[in-house]
This record gives sequence, structure tokens and C-alpha cells, in this order.
Amino acid sequence: MLNVSSFVELSSPFGFLRFFKALAALSFLLFLSGCATYSAGFYGVENATANRDLVGAVKSLDDLKLSGADLALHHLNKATLLRLQGQFAESNQQFDAAKTLMEKLTAISVTEQLASVTVNDGMRAYDGLPTEQLMVYSFLSLNYLQMGDVEGAAVEARQFNVKQGLIAEKHPKAPYLSGAFSRYLNSMIFEASGGDDLDTARIELEKAREGYHAQNARFPVPAGIANDLQRLRANRAMPSEVTFVLHNGLGPSLDEEVIRVANPSPGEHGPAMFSLAVPKFIKRAAPVARVVLSAGGKEVQSEMVEDINALAEKSFNDRLPVIRARAIARFVVKNVAAQVAKKQAGDNQFFNLLADIATNASERADTRTWSLIPANILMARLSLSPGQYDITATYYDEKNQIIGTRVFPGVTVKNAQKTFIADYFLNPPAAPKAAR
Amino acid sequence: MFPKNKAVLMLLALATLGLSACATDVKRVGVEEVRDLSGKWNDTDSRLVSEEMIRDALSGGWIDRHQAAANKAPTVIVGKVRNLSHEHISTGTFVKDLERAFVNSGRVDMVASAAEREGIRAERQDMDLNASEETRAAQGNEAGADYMLMGTINSIIDASGSEQIRFYQVDLTLISTKDNRKVWTGQKKLKKDIKAATFR
Repeated sequence: MLNVSSFVELSSPFGFLRFFKALAALSFLLFLSGCATYSAGFYGVENATANRDLVGAVKSLDDLKLSGADLALHHLNKATLLRLQGQFAESNQQFDAAKTLMEKLTAISVTEQLASVTVNDGMRAYDGLPTEQLMVYSFLSLNYLQMGDVEGAAVEARQFNVKQGLIAEKHPKAPYLSGAFSRYLNSMIFEASGGDDLDTARIELEKAREGYHAQNARFPVPAGIANDLQRLRANRAMPSEVTFVLHNGLGPSLDEEVIRVANPSPGEHGPAMFSLAVPKFIKRAAPVARVVLSAGGKEVQSEMVEDINALAEKSFNDRLPVIRARAIARFVVKNVAAQVAKKQAGDNQFFNLLADIATNASERADTRTWSLIPANILMARLSLSPGQYDITATYYDEKNQIIGTRVFPGVTVKNAQKTFIADYFLNPPAAPKAAR
Repeated sequence: MFPKNKAVLMLLALATLGLSACATDVKRVGVEEVRDLSGKWNDTDSRLVSEEMIRDALSGGWIDRHQAAANKAPTVIVGKVRNLSHEHISTGTFVKDLERAFVNSGRVDMVASAAEREGIRAERQDMDLNASEETRAAQGNEAGADYMLMGTINSIIDASGSEQIRFYQVDLTLISTKDNRKVWTGQKKLKKDIKAATFR
């Protein structure tokens, strides 16, 4: 039974001051955990995107007011929405802001590290998974290509090469971080750039093929790679073609999984059970199984060029031991801090209860992800004679049923050049994601 | 009464200080002042390229050779300077510096580039309809270029951990429009050692 009267019994000014200080510390802890919310509000953004209400999706995203530790997420998601809207230059501004921010965040913040082992992991600034950091360069390149700026795309391709090297250096046992898709895309960019870059295009293709093998033994290497390699080795000119890219579904989300741990010495040393909150990987199904791209009496099937879901899962599993270790460290730190605070407050029953609530309530898993990254990327390459075409993309699900058709009218195909077009397909999200 | 006023004044002073801390701080600095913030290509790099290229181009001997052979100043048009580097670099800054140096030297004539002349041609067509006979500029009197200025910016980045070595090489070439001969080539190399902060 809670002895509220002991709160009133704090009659001496000194005792009251100590109690007040301890109470303020607890309130601050609860306040911090209250600030750390992300995924709860994201349902609206995803739902509007799935319904092709991209203006509404941008508004919903802006309304979330992601800032501070979540600022990179704002830039990444806004960049994606602007790209899907066809606002490629504005999208690149957001991707550039995300890239610059993520580069800055590679430096260690002592305050954030301390907060992550005392409050929760959400106190750390979000700097993106390595897979996400690499994908930024591909989307930047695609935006430049869709603006017809091959030189700009080539700059991103060169930057990718440096970044991938740094990531591989930091994660030597993660061959899935080879950026196979990005290298495949980069080979197309360097081939379009021409001149000395043709040799770079061939090297990128060879690295892409190795990367696809390394990242997943079962993942089929896109047939386009072998064809392009053959052509480049034979020094043949690039064919005129339409290259179609589909953002298929949504990448993984993270839910919170609370692990209850028994307190070895309950009673005086805290409650009987303690909570450890860790993120749980939720793979979201990609709605489109294949795309048929057709124009001018010709048609071609798509190939999956990037399985973001699979790469993200590997990346998550690699991080999980560190996340769990930090959660256990937090458990120890919070427990010790709660005991000290309880003693300072004169072992007041009311305060003890508050301390236990604050310790558990502040324990939240970091469920932040780049929510609008696609589950996978499908690519279809249709060779056409130079001219203007109405391009049709037909989407099939796993049961081979047509689930959507899009027509891109008046697409210009130039001699010995690629014309890039893109689309996205999402199923509306099933239910709001849990709060972090 | 006085202490109360004093307290109000102090609060106002503190509030003013607080607000001034939030305001954007701008100060003019000399264009030659070297300020490196991110380590990426910046105005100083562009200026160093300009200075080197101008010095080299005006003393290279190609102007005198052309003058002796053709008995007139050479005419130059600016062509494409390809950015083959790791950064989105505006080549216009140092190309414009070089163009200005050519014109101001009085020894080289410059003609409008492909992008610039579209506007001029549109204006000339407009004059045909709207300008008086005496002031109208006739079509077909454009000066042809003897040489085209072309070039590339290349870069090599060697990065490990938080340290990067960035190497830039800018190459500019003047090519004869008559016979594709290269009459002048200029080169500027820059190298930077960048160490990113370990802590923030």
C-alpha cells in the first residue's frame, strides 16, 4: 500500500529540497522519453503516399516536425516524396541535406552516447543504416538522370565509390554492403558519360556482378549486366533504350519488442521485473512481382535489381547484438540511478513508485527507419529506335494478376542514349505502426 | 521604486542579449580571404585556378604566333569544360575570370558561347521586326572563332576513416577551329589533406 503521507512528512527544508531535486530528475527522464516519438505518426504519410496523394503525404510529413535527432529522417523521407512527385531538383536538395548531415553525424557525440545508455537509443541522432547511406547516392543519380544531367549523375557515382569504400572498411565482414545495384546503375551513367568513363563503366559492371554474388548467393545477377559487359568489351555503341525503375512497396519497419527481465533482488532494489526495449524487424511485402514494359510493338520483363528488404534485415541482424548490449547497460545504469535517487528522497514510498515507473517508461526501443525507402527495386530495359513513344508499364502480383497499369505518354528516345522513367507502387499500410 | 526599474532594465538587457544570439550573423570578408569549412572545392580553389590559368594563357606565346600569322588578334569561344570530379563544381567561375582577362588584355577577342548567342540571335530577330533601320543589327555578321576553349576537372580521393586526401586537376586547352591543333594547354593541380572531427 502506498504511503502518501510520507510525502507530507518531509517537513525539514533540507529533506524537501533533496526530494524535490530527485523528483525533478525523474520528471526530466519522463519528459525525454515523451519527446522520443517517431513511427506513430508515420501511418498518415504512408497511407497518403499509397493513395498517390503525394501533396498530402508531404504535408503529413511536415506536420510530424521531425527535427533534432530525427532531422535526417525528415530529409530522407521528404526527398523520396519529392522524387515520387517528379520534383527531381527539390528532391536532390533534400537528399544532399541528408547526405551532409549523415556525414557530420559520423563524428561521435559524447552526450548522445551517454543518453543512449541512460535514457534510450532514440536519444542518438539518426544517421541512417549503411544500406540507406548507400541508397542515397543511387536516388540522387536517378534524379539527375531523369533531369537529363548525366554529368551530375556521374558526380554522385564517383562519390558513391568513396563512400562504399569507407563503409566496407568499417564493416569488413558485411559483403552485402557492396552496393551492387548502385554499381550497376553507375555503369550505365559512366557509359552515357562516354570518353575515358567507358573503361570505368566496364569496371563498375564487373564489381556489380561480384557484388550481387557476394550480397546474396540466391539473388540472380540481372541479365542486363552480362549483356552490357559483352557490349562494352566489344566496344559496341550503347543502344537507344527506355530504362524503367519501379519503387516497389515499402521497406522494413521496426516495432518495439519489450523483453521482461526478472530483478535478482527485488523489493529494496527496485521492482520484481525490469523492461528492456529492443527493436523488432518487420518485413513488409512488395506488391509487384514483375513489370511488363511495352511500346512500339515490343515488350520486356523487369528484373529485381535491389532487394532492400533483404539487405536491411542483414544490416539489422548485424546491429542487434550491439543494441541488446546497450539495453543491458541501460538496465544497470537506470537501476543504480533509481536506487541512489530513492535514497536521496528519503526512501519515500510515493517517490519509489514514481522512480520505478520512470525507469520503465523511459525504456523505449529505437524504431526509426527511412520509412519510404522501397522494399525492392525492379528495372525493365526496353530497346527502341529513336523517336517518341507512349510507354506502358503493367504490374503483376505473385498470382500473376494485373494489379496496375501506368502509361507514360510522349517519352522521347534519343539515338544511342538511355531515357530514364520511374514510378512507384504501394499497397496502403495495414495499420498504424506502434509508437517507438 | 528605483530597484524595481533597475530590475526591469536588467531583464530587458538580458532579453535583448538573448534575442541577438538568435539573429543571423553576417559580416563581409575579403574575397581573397581563405576560409575552408568542409574541405570541398570552394572559392579559394577557383581563384587559384584562375590566377594560374590567366598567367599561363597570356604568356604562352600562342597570341603572338597567331598575330604574326593572321595579322589580327585571335578570337576565342568558350566551349565545354567537363566536370569529371567527385563534386558538383561550377566551372563558370574560373572560366569567366579567364574570359575577362583575355578581353581586358586587349590581345584576345572573345565571342559569345553557344548558350549566350541564342539570346543574342533572338534579340537580332526581334530587331528585324521592331528596331529602326539605322539602329538594327544585321543578321549574318557574327565573328567566327579561331579557337575554342575546352577543358576538364578531374579529382582523385583517397579516404580512410576520418581522413581524406583530395587531389584536383584542372586542364584547359585552346583548340584551333580550323584544323583541331592545340595551341595552348594550361594545368593546375590542387591537393588537400582533410581530417574530419572525431567528436561533435
